[in-house]
Amino acid sequence: MNPQEAKEMTSEPPATTRGRFGREQGAATATPVAGPQQAGHRVTVGELNAYYGEQHAIKDLSIDFEPNRVTALIGPSGCGKSTLVRCINRMHEEIPGAYATGKVMVDDTDVYDSRVDVVAVRRAVGMVFQKPNPFPTMSIYDNVAAGLRLRGAKGSHLKERVEASLRSAGLWDEVKDRLAKAGIGLSGGQQQRLCIARTLAAEPEVILMDEPCSALDPIATLKIEELIDELKTKYTIVIVTHNMQQAARVADTTAFMLSGELVEHADTEKMFTNPDDDRTEQYVTGKFG
Amino acid sequence: MSAVPATTAFAPISGARRRKDQFMRGLLAAGTIVALIPLVLVIYYLLKRGLGAISWHFLSSDPTGNFLGDPGGIKSAIFGTIEMVALASVIAIPVGVGVALYLTEYGKDSRFASAVRYFVDVMTGVPSIVFGLFIYITLILSGNVGTFAGWKGSIALALLMLPIVTRSAEVVLLLVPDHLREAALALGAPRWRVVSRVVLPTALPGLVTGSLLAIARAAGETAPLLFTAAIVNGTTFNLGDRMNSLPLQIFTDVGQAQDRLVARAWGAALTLVMLILLLTLIARFVSRRSRLT
Amino acid sequence: MPETTRHAFQEELTELESQALAGLDMVVTTLERTMEALQQQDVELALMVVQDDDRIDGRYLEVHQGILSLLARQAPVATDLRLVAALLDVIKHVERMGDQCVNIAKTIPLTGHEPPVVPELLGTLLEMGRHVAAMIEQAKRAFCTRNVELAEDLVSRDDAVNRMHREAFRIALEAGEDVDTREWAMMMLGVGRALERMGDNAVDIGEQTAFIVTGLFREFTDASRPAPVS
Repeated sequence: MNPQEAKEMTSEPPATTRGRFGREQGAATATPVAGPQQAGHRVTVGELNAYYGEQHAIKDLSIDFEPNRVTALIGPSGCGKSTLVRCINRMHEEIPGAYATGKVMVDDTDVYDSRVDVVAVRRAVGMVFQKPNPFPTMSIYDNVAAGLRLRGAKGSHLKERVEASLRSAGLWDEVKDRLAKAGIGLSGGQQQRLCIARTLAAEPEVILMDEPCSALDPIATLKIEELIDELKTKYTIVIVTHNMQQAARVADTTAFMLSGELVEHADTEKMFTNPDDDRTEQYVTGKFG
Repeated sequence: MSAVPATTAFAPISGARRRKDQFMRGLLAAGTIVALIPLVLVIYYLLKRGLGAISWHFLSSDPTGNFLGDPGGIKSAIFGTIEMVALASVIAIPVGVGVALYLTEYGKDSRFASAVRYFVDVMTGVPSIVFGLFIYITLILSGNVGTFAGWKGSIALALLMLPIVTRSAEVVLLLVPDHLREAALALGAPRWRVVSRVVLPTALPGLVTGSLLAIARAAGETAPLLFTAAIVNGTTFNLGDRMNSLPLQIFTDVGQAQDRLVARAWGAALTLVMLILLLTLIARFVSRRSRLT
Repeated sequence: MPETTRHAFQEELTELESQALAGLDMVVTTLERTMEALQQQDVELALMVVQDDDRIDGRYLEVHQGILSLLARQAPVATDLRLVAALLDVIKHVERMGDQCVNIAKTIPLTGHEPPVVPELLGTLLEMGRHVAAMIEQAKRAFCTRNVELAEDLVSRDDAVNRMHREAFRIALEAGEDVDTREWAMMMLGVGRALERMGDNAVDIGEQTAFIVTGLFREFTDASRPAPVS
């Protein structure tokens, strides 16, 4: 009898397993409960197809990102996880020859609807990139304020917003005495937190992160992972990562992609202790990659 | 350490290779020196012939046009060059940077952008006298606008500067990393704001350098001014009048029989080179503060 | 099939598994020796069993250390992780079963060189011993081949062992008139208990097999959750 049949055969109710940090979870995907702080924002992708010219990069992909949760996207190089994430804030189409069809719903709005302004979408869906990219001509203060100024905000009331964003990003104490210094004078980890503060200043609803820690040292990485854990109480977060251990540490649910398709999406714990799909099993145990 | 066995990878450098190395080095050094000789000679002659002519009187009085007696200085030529080049810059630099912005931010790889790029490249190769002739035919002979004037010279110079500014601006704008544009776009900025608040400030030092070099080039051009601005003696601040300029002043004086006029030509040449040197030094200083190059 | 990566890791894991399962072989050998010592009242053999338990303990430590090292260096997940967790459990049972054999062996010198034997009781215990040895071998095969059916079958074999244990109890109650016989019978009950515990350990190993395969941990019916009396 093969493993699949054996799983179906167990007639007794599955044993409860204690999740991370002692949360009780059933073996199936837990029904999500929105955090008590504020109603979170859900992102639902429906039948998404993305192309780079002739190349079909994402194939009929549908996935749900729960509000106030961290979802990790894992998969081998070229599987389309970065492309997927860029389709959510419509950055994908900035590449010449690239386009996408399908639906991406942020709450009740389809961001691909023809009446929707792409600029408004990007204000609601923020993005943190792999390589920290603070604006080189701006000071730390101006970098964070850029999140607001680039949307047309003016005036001096920006000061409180800048401080609040830097606090949320866990950077305030380290830079409060040198706000006027250049943004690129910080260390790699600090620069990335600066970019996160900049994204937060724009008050998004969803935050997308494309391998945010791959250019950072281990301590900086851990700081950002802790930050992500705090941020999820206010935002819905999607993180693309090459590092499976990071996905295991940081994400509530994990989705595995292969060649432009979604193979499996489940609670992180299940993905790493008992995944359903054989391909997921092969990938996470490192039998191919 | 014990003796190195013969089969090891770290064999000592062979004599033949060392000789070849030295031969090449010598050859390249010789070539460099040969190339530098004319440059050194030019500077030497400029200083030798021109330094004597320069004085306060020289710089502050207009050419008198007298064949005998005091030939005067080159004041009108200096001012004329400055005025005409300034107007040309005001025209050419914004337009040139604008075209470059179109090519890098909006047109990118489109067919139209490629065509524009091609034409700009062609324009850099057009002889400067052709620009002068073009202005002569369209603005002077056509009768509509009449005679020689400073602003017509400016336009000819602007046509000359335009492709240079566009080319160097495009290179600098392409050096602005794409991930900065991405960051700004991802924050929800419309593209024009991305350009004005991120791309241009980042590229600014490089743009300034490129523009200064284009200005230096225009200041030294003679041919476009031959048919457009003419040669006069008096200093004028009205760009509608005929206007003197340093290259033309040199042009007229050099052929004269009188030694003092020839000396004035050398002095004017030295002044022109000094002006261009000053611009180049400023460009160097600005570029050192750039964060891109 | 894509070329397998993580060669060293897979080899290490396989090696750990065979070391742990070899521990089960050691237990079977020890049990057979113990039963023979019991049958022949061989004090020297019993002493050897006690001393050889060090080898089983040593095996436990080896596998335990190997697993710690693997966890620290290789971060196994999914099936690999379940296998590692199961191996930790299996090797614990191996060590316990070794200790049970020692408990049995220790009763032999205590009963004196010529104890009064109740043949029926001794016979039942020897039968139990054979059953349990077979169960341990079956548990090992089930684990090796990841055969859940075979593992679940251990439950019914354990039922047989439990029945024999109750039978032994009944015989011991009617042991005999003199003190020496009754004393010997009491000690033999201890042996019976040890064997019954070993049977439970074998069932637990079966549960680990099911856990690796299904990813769900489920108690087969055992002494704490008895099946309805048939």
